[in-house]
Amino acid sequence: MTTQPHILVIDDEAQILRALRTILTAKQFKVSVASRGEEGLALAVAEQPDLVILDLSLPDMDGVEVCVRLREWTQVPIIVLSVRDSERDKVIALDKGADDYLTKPFGIDELLARIRVALRHSAQSLGSQKSQVITAGSVIIDLALHTVSREGEEVKLTATEFKLLAYLAANAGRVLTNQSILSHVWDPAEADRVEYLRVYIRQLRKKLEDDPDHPCLIRNEPGIGYRFMLDE
Amino acid sequence: MREQICLSTHRRLKVSPEVIIILMMRIKPVRRLRGFPGDKYLLAILVTALFTALFVPLRTRGGQDHTILSLMYLLPVVISSVLWGLGPGALVAVLSFLAINYFFVPPYYTLLVHSTQDVLILVVFLVISITIGQLVGRVSKSLSETSARERDAIHLYELIMHLAGLHNEQEIVSALAEQTLIAFHAGRVDVLVEAQGSTPAQHVRLEDHAAPDQPEESLPSYIAPLQFTRGFLGEIKLWRDGSELSPAEERLLHTFASQGVLALERVRLSQAASRARILEESDRFKTSLLSSVSHELRTPLSTIKAAVTSLRSGTVEWDTAAKADLLAAVEEETDHLDQLVGNLLNMSRIEAGALNPERRWNSLAEIVSSALERSRQLTEKHTIDVDVSGDLPLVPVDYSQIEQVFINLISNSVKYSPEGTTVTIRAEPVDDSELQVTVQNQGPSVAEEHLERIFDKFHRVTAADRVTGSGLGLSICKGIIEAHGGKIWAENLEKGFAFRFTLPRAWEGFTPDIQQEITGE
Repeated sequence: MTTQPHILVIDDEAQILRALRTILTAKQFKVSVASRGEEGLALAVAEQPDLVILDLSLPDMDGVEVCVRLREWTQVPIIVLSVRDSERDKVIALDKGADDYLTKPFGIDELLARIRVALRHSAQSLGSQKSQVITAGSVIIDLALHTVSREGEEVKLTATEFKLLAYLAANAGRVLTNQSILSHVWDPAEADRVEYLRVYIRQLRKKLEDDPDHPCLIRNEPGIGYRFMLDE
Repeated sequence: MREQICLSTHRRLKVSPEVIIILMMRIKPVRRLRGFPGDKYLLAILVTALFTALFVPLRTRGGQDHTILSLMYLLPVVISSVLWGLGPGALVAVLSFLAINYFFVPPYYTLLVHSTQDVLILVVFLVISITIGQLVGRVSKSLSETSARERDAIHLYELIMHLAGLHNEQEIVSALAEQTLIAFHAGRVDVLVEAQGSTPAQHVRLEDHAAPDQPEESLPSYIAPLQFTRGFLGEIKLWRDGSELSPAEERLLHTFASQGVLALERVRLSQAASRARILEESDRFKTSLLSSVSHELRTPLSTIKAAVTSLRSGTVEWDTAAKADLLAAVEEETDHLDQLVGNLLNMSRIEAGALNPERRWNSLAEIVSSALERSRQLTEKHTIDVDVSGDLPLVPVDYSQIEQVFINLISNSVKYSPEGTTVTIRAEPVDDSELQVTVQNQGPSVAEEHLERIFDKFHRVTAADRVTGSGLGLSICKGIIEAHGGKIWAENLEKGFAFRFTLPRAWEGFTPDIQQEITGE
């Protein structure tokens, strides 16, 4: 990339802002910061950042509200950064449009990895609008032909398995909550039948992963859901 | 006394004025003469007349044997005394005396007596009949008093039996109202208890459907206050058609009231005592928590502070390895702090009874792998051997709580076993209803007497300053596992030490059969 990716950080803690600005600038990102929700929303409109890092507890409004207002007009990746670690909070933020969630305190490597994934994902979906073929390591998924191959050999999937894989892959990089997967792949009425999801994920991993017990393609998001990784 | 009641009722209950009027009326009791026993005397006269009518035909011509006759006249005297009491008995005695004189002692139909012997007989008859009448009357009166007292005693006993063992004000008030209704044959009973502090007001109204309906606004026949040492508690209102309460019944009602008050006081005292006990316990918990936490927070903080200040000070030139060491220490200690805060939060939730697992069907393999991910720093110096298959049956658990259990058990195992040894995590189904998980290390065994107690809060096998930890980790595991309906225990192995816990496979009687369906396809 020729231009530096632009990151907007919205957080009310001065120490975090200072640390993130220093670290991200050193990592060749262009950084703007805001300490209030309204200020952050205004900056997002004015500067059109490539990624937003958002705290949930802001002095003037809830971070989830910021998520919702951003999603009204932009698909910019949002990474939520919060001390709230209950599954409920995470699920709400993700369902309201956040792409990813990181609990404070966090390791900076973890944050940088997630920034990279989010930027790549958004670049991909911007570039070829809807790409028909998704490549993740040795796995190639053709959404149009409904075929999947691993190391050049075709993998047989049931209809439901393919539907699940296609939904995960189409949202590569994003954390998908159990409920959103269930309601997209099965039916909104089945959003609580987590047992379906667990079993089908296990089946997919057995067919696609090198080591189904240490999955690289379909990662767990503890207590929240799953995330499809393109590579790494 | 009554005036006092009236005042306190007026002041505290703010009842409508008519209640006060009733009380005033009761202060100077205006007893109606309905119960006046005139009819009993009338009956006594009739009985005498009847017996006289019976005896007259028996009169012999000579008619000299007045002794037998006077004996026979004792009959109406005794009967009247037994049936109607002392007064009518005495009246019959006098009337009989006159009747003997008039009808049987010559000259007949006059009250004149010629013979001295007759005078003697008549006088003796009068004395004996009055005496017998009085004796018999008194015995029967005391008999009826005794049986009334016995009835009172039975009613009181019933009340006490019903009140005993009640631990709830509502139940006490209901029992009191019910027993009052039964004991006094009342048409309606109201028991009111005022709200006090956090205890809500109670009002129970009972009506006897067999009795005639009491109009809603009618005045109660009697009001007894519920009064206890520290003041006014409420009152019992009683409606009864027909007869007024006798003084004995009033006394009984007051006794009922005081029994009710005793029961209410007992409940309030025991509530206060249990509140005090809870407070004391939570106080003790907070004290131990504070002392444990301040120690636990300071240890990692001092490491971090030391490492960071030494890196920032310009006086020493650190080589790369030393820098990395210091920084690794900082990272490790921040993880410690984070884990500690998480444990504190969980502990306070367990203490508050607010753990509420959010159950979902989860795969243990996923939970174990994310627990290992999160405790990577901790386990760097140990080998972790995991045997938890992704094909195990799903378990209905709260993901993050069970993850916390694994993190705490792993952290404990790593802490108490030598570096370079292996920690093994294994899970297997026990039967159709449970999975059993084992987290096992090659550390030293633990004395038998500690095996149970290591799951207690702040319990440590080793001295607190030798190993870091809040003393909360294992008790949190126990809290979480038990909230999930499983059990957790520790055992010494031939070579090492193991934690084991079980998790139920069914949730509200349901096990997902989807697993077999799909694996079979």
